[in-house]
Amino acid sequence: MFRTTFVFFTILTLFAFVLGPAPTLAADFAVGSTVENFSLPDTNGKVQSLNDLKGKNGSVVVFLSAQCPVVKGYNERINQLAAEYAAKGITFIGINSNSTESLDWVKSHAAENYKFPVLIDKGNVLADKLSATVTPEAYYFDAKNVLLYRGAIDNDRSGKAITDNYLKVAFDSALSGKVIAKTSAHAFGCSIKRVGE
Amino acid sequence: MKLETVIGGAVLLLSLAVVCAAQVSSAARKLPSIKQIDNNGLRKALTPSRKPLLVNFWATWCDPCREEFPDLVKLDAEYKGKIDFITISLDELSEIGRDVPKFLADMKAGMPAYLLKAQDDDAAIAFVSKEWSGALPLTILYDASGKQIYYRQGKVKIETVRAQIDKILTPGN
Repeated sequence: MFRTTFVFFTILTLFAFVLGPAPTLAADFAVGSTVENFSLPDTNGKVQSLNDLKGKNGSVVVFLSAQCPVVKGYNERINQLAAEYAAKGITFIGINSNSTESLDWVKSHAAENYKFPVLIDKGNVLADKLSATVTPEAYYFDAKNVLLYRGAIDNDRSGKAITDNYLKVAFDSALSGKVIAKTSAHAFGCSIKRVGE
Repeated sequence: MKLETVIGGAVLLLSLAVVCAAQVSSAARKLPSIKQIDNNGLRKALTPSRKPLLVNFWATWCDPCREEFPDLVKLDAEYKGKIDFITISLDELSEIGRDVPKFLADMKAGMPAYLLKAQDDDAAIAFVSKEWSGALPLTILYDASGKQIYYRQGKVKIETVRAQIDKILTPGN
């Protein structure tokens, strides 16, 4: 019995070494996945849900930060997109999952910068669910909460030399019934500061 | 005006000028040079040359990047000659002669320093790792053959990196 147990644990240990550390979160919540409805408090403490906030043509969950300079550089573009596509039935929902940013800070930052609700993801539960690790990052869901596009808003964080408006192109493709050619794109940004990190 | 006063004033002015010039020159000398690279340059930079290679992606605007930098400088000092260690900044190109070298000089960082201005950030990120979301900082350790041994998105723990380096430097590994 002892011998069998020993062999079993030895094999298990070897497997652990071969497999190595668990994969990082980035690729886990893939395009085509459906997000369950979620409810989080906004910056005024009012609990709001995805299903209540989403538009008739879907929603964009965008991970933000009050301190990230890259997010700051995108604020104006995010607001412009939110305004333009709210009229087309796609609503924006900001999410702040950073454990290092106080509610007061996030609240004043949201009031100064965004024309859409920002929800507080305490304990980074939603960030974990969507495997979000970077700000800014956008998740574009259709009306059935199926992920259509995930990633960068465009291909130039400075905003001076944009040649690919990834998110906007995804909106326009979906709204016109076309296939979204590029369903994900990465860009450099700030790490989401998770609890305990 | 007496001749002595004029000469004295001239000598004083000259001394001041020499001191200022020396200080400016000294400050300029201390600033490390940063090499700009594109996607092709990134490919070359991430290729080890007969030694393990530690790579840190960072930016001056990234708080955790700045916070972990003293530990990275320590690692560089500890493993100098045994591994290669490079840093790759994701700052704007306009910072290549300003905040980036200034920060590295403040940190007394002697690692070869690059600034990546990619034609396509998405492609550059995917080339580095399929797992990488683009969040900074990112630290990767490759063995001498180019195999990825350690990958950390977020601040590193110095003892973890040290253990990984020691492991690949141990004969037989």
